[in-house]
Amino acid sequence: MPKWFNPAILACGVLFAVSPFVIANAPYESTMGLVQKVFYYHMPSAWVFLTASVVCGIASARFLATGNARHDRTALAAAEMAVLFGLLTLVTGPLWARKAWGQWWIWDARITSSLVGWMIAWAYLILRQYGGPGSEKLAAGLALFGMANVPFIYVSVTYWRTIHPATTVVPKLPFSMGFPLMFCLASFYFLMFLLMKLRVRVAEQQARLDAIYLSMDEEA
Amino acid sequence: MRITGRTSVVRPLFRVIAVAVLVVSGFSRTMAGPTPLLAQEQPKQQEVFTPIDQLPPQEQLPAAPLLVGAYAFVLLMLFGYLFIVSRRLTVIQQEVDRLDRDTKRT
Repeated sequence: MPKWFNPAILACGVLFAVSPFVIANAPYESTMGLVQKVFYYHMPSAWVFLTASVVCGIASARFLATGNARHDRTALAAAEMAVLFGLLTLVTGPLWARKAWGQWWIWDARITSSLVGWMIAWAYLILRQYGGPGSEKLAAGLALFGMANVPFIYVSVTYWRTIHPATTVVPKLPFSMGFPLMFCLASFYFLMFLLMKLRVRVAEQQARLDAIYLSMDEEA
Repeated sequence: MRITGRTSVVRPLFRVIAVAVLVVSGFSRTMAGPTPLLAQEQPKQQEVFTPIDQLPPQEQLPAAPLLVGAYAFVLLMLFGYLFIVSRRLTVIQQEVDRLDRDTKRT
């Protein structure tokens, strides 16, 4: 890994260690009170989940177009990010909803389409793991559907009736609530970037290892 | 005998204390707001005491465990994943180095 990687991970750890204190200074929301503070981790997780799905789709499209394995490795790393951050979104959401709405889960458009997006990312990884030779191209096709689902997730609260907060909430946040959100968002995106870098490196080394074993088999 | 020094210190001191008392009492009245009159709206008279366990379920739920649970889950998953991937990289890197060394020897 590059020399800057370990200090960067440390800096990211500091950001995450500081974030609860930044969030604690944010005012309580008037109707939901304390539990609304789940928002400061839930929304960045959701944004990173959607971003990772888009990155996975773009990298897959480039892989299908060029056949370059570098894009395939990026897509694989992004799919893992989508599964990880999607899981965080789908777990923190119900913990918030249980108090705010009185229910763990509601089958509305936003939550259901998010679940579908998460399952597509899972399907991508399962296909890569168990699909055998050539599965990377099938998985790349699946990633395109995962990316196509992202705009539906985003606009679902606007076009379908739901009790999920609207997309207008974030632009209208006062500074006292907006600053902690932006702080957490920056921390989550920074961590996503570092984890992607690490995961791509693992994939590169794995490819190198496979190539060495293949050459040894050919020699034998 | 007349003590001039005593009167010159005590009188201004009394004045300062008196002014301070007036200011503080005025400030506290301002902070307390206007005195409620009988004609003004009073809080609704409570006719029955409701135990907290008879409130709707979501109002009985404490928020703190849900909040702490959400944050703990996020942090555990993120740094757990980081640890697992770092370990995986170390293992693969070691294997690549070992194979590189073996192929150079042969």
